Amino acid sequence: MTENSSGRPAGDERLSLIGHLARWINVPRFILALTLTFFLTGILFPFYWMVSSSSKTYAEIGSREPVYVPSALRLDAYKELFDPSHPSFQRFGLNIMNSVKVAIPTAIIAVILSTLGAYAVARLRFRGKGAMLNGILIVYLFPGILLIIPLFAMVSQIGARLGFDVQDNLPVLILTYLAQTLPVALYMLANYFRTIPPEIEQAGLIDGCSRMDVIWRITLPLAIPALVSIAIYTFMIAWNEFLYALVFLNSRDLFTMPIKINTIFNDPSPRPHVVMAASTIMTVPVVTLFLALERFLEQGLVAGGVKG
Amino acid sequence: MTTSAKDLRSPFSRRWNSVRAREARLAWILILPTALIVFGLVVFPAIFSIWISFHQVGLRNLNDVFHAPFVGLENYRRVLNDFAFKFQGLQSWGAAVTSVVYSFSATILTLIIGLIASLLLNQPFRARGLARAIFLFPYVAPIVSVAFVWRWILDPRPSGVLNDILVKLGAIQLPKAYLATRGLALLLVIVFEAWRYFPFAMLMILARLQAVDKLLYEAAEVDGANVRHKFWYVTLPELRYVLGAVFLLRLIWTFNKFDDIFLLTGGGFGTNVLPVLTYQFSFKSFDFGKGAANAMILLVIMTMFLAVYVTTVMRNVEE
Repeated sequence: MTENSSGRPAGDERLSLIGHLARWINVPRFILALTLTFFLTGILFPFYWMVSSSSKTYAEIGSREPVYVPSALRLDAYKELFDPSHPSFQRFGLNIMNSVKVAIPTAIIAVILSTLGAYAVARLRFRGKGAMLNGILIVYLFPGILLIIPLFAMVSQIGARLGFDVQDNLPVLILTYLAQTLPVALYMLANYFRTIPPEIEQAGLIDGCSRMDVIWRITLPLAIPALVSIAIYTFMIAWNEFLYALVFLNSRDLFTMPIKINTIFNDPSPRPHVVMAASTIMTVPVVTLFLALERFLEQGLVAGGVKG
Repeated sequence: MTTSAKDLRSPFSRRWNSVRAREARLAWILILPTALIVFGLVVFPAIFSIWISFHQVGLRNLNDVFHAPFVGLENYRRVLNDFAFKFQGLQSWGAAVTSVVYSFSATILTLIIGLIASLLLNQPFRARGLARAIFLFPYVAPIVSVAFVWRWILDPRPSGVLNDILVKLGAIQLPKAYLATRGLALLLVIVFEAWRYFPFAMLMILARLQAVDKLLYEAAEVDGANVRHKFWYVTLPELRYVLGAVFLLRLIWTFNKFDDIFLLTGGGFGTNVLPVLTYQFSFKSFDFGKGAANAMILLVIMTMFLAVYVTTVMRNVEE
């Protein structure tokens, strides 16, 4: 596959057919093609296996030999997730909604708050800025597992005092995700704001705009690519997060997708095709989103946008 | 009195209303929501965690944590003497040693694979952009999905893919329970870690590779360097700094990582690491004091890595 695709002669000198062949089946090209094939197989096979297993029947899943290509596109596993008449209906639609309810607010709030903070860091002078930026870097390296115990204690303390159930509470989850993502989002966005020439904003200020006007009308429109990538990163982190949701959610009706998938996986009667179907549903939006916006998301990845 | 108060007030109000002061006030207002959330949910809990580690906190007195009995270093003593924590010979490493071995070997493997992948993607070939996007899949896909696919591929039954392939190739006689065999499980968890996180290393290295001055290679060619020479004497030295930075970041993150091992093995069969052990102490046996003590030990080891790294590696890089 790759040998063919890389077979264009690089220079403009004319080569005979044999020269052509000799040119593209040389040792470096062969090694390149081999390594590339190795990588692509290694990366894509698990994804293929996930998607293909999700459309297998129970018989195919439980057979003595693995079924590499499902006999037909069967929706048995998806029926168990979504069809109320299925004997072990999983109500997965509810879990999808819970994940959406957590991930979208997290993304929106993170974008708003980090924009405000990042603007201050990038443009305004104030005491304690250096210390704050160092603090951000420490949060970046801080283990989530260390925070989960005190957070759990705090949450049950507050719950006991105020008399409402803090544990099974999606907003609490959103708050903890914000605490994890805001520092890095602020850091990335501040770096981006610094690349916008301050002269443009000063011109606005001289023309009589207030600071808020300047942020709203000048800085934000210029920063849209960075805002989109921050929204997507925070969305992805909230969508994928496992540990905090595992500890903070007890009620099946509030489970986000990762916890639900974990529950289905640990069910006494193993049904890998259902697990794979649920995983497919969870993975496809994230990977599609990433592929669609890959060009400018990569910048954020290099800047350390996704922790973990 | 009144006059002196007026005298005091006017410079104060002048300073209060100066452009600089207004700017600083605006800055703090803008940062306040973020600062409150981060303080309330990261900084305060972190300090609170130290407090918990010195107190006896269980499920019963969780609602009334602040009156929990003080036990001094008892929690730490219990962690250090726990079978799951301490090293007891080569058969049972304990979480502390396993954590260190796991995070170092996973980080090194991640870095090697990331380096190979970045060198590969630095070559010109058609559809390189697509290949580059595909290479990022393991890193962006949800951990739960990929961990369970791996478990399904490594299924111990003969119908497991890896078992099927290896039996057909004649590499093994009988199907193996990969994630339920001591040693093999740790090795596979390390391989999984490299599979999932090499894209991060790859992107960082690739960004640096593309910034290497082409003249250096041309100069090396003039001096008669072959491909290997160019790699060892031009590419690697140019990458030294980024390799160091990625190593540190990945080492710390791997050391802190809970999800991967929890989902793959649940911490069984010689793969129990400190984050998973912290979870078990706190949310399986509901001994929050012991869990917090374990987390503090994790933090101390992590800080030690950081200190050693900053004093040795970073200094060498500067030279």
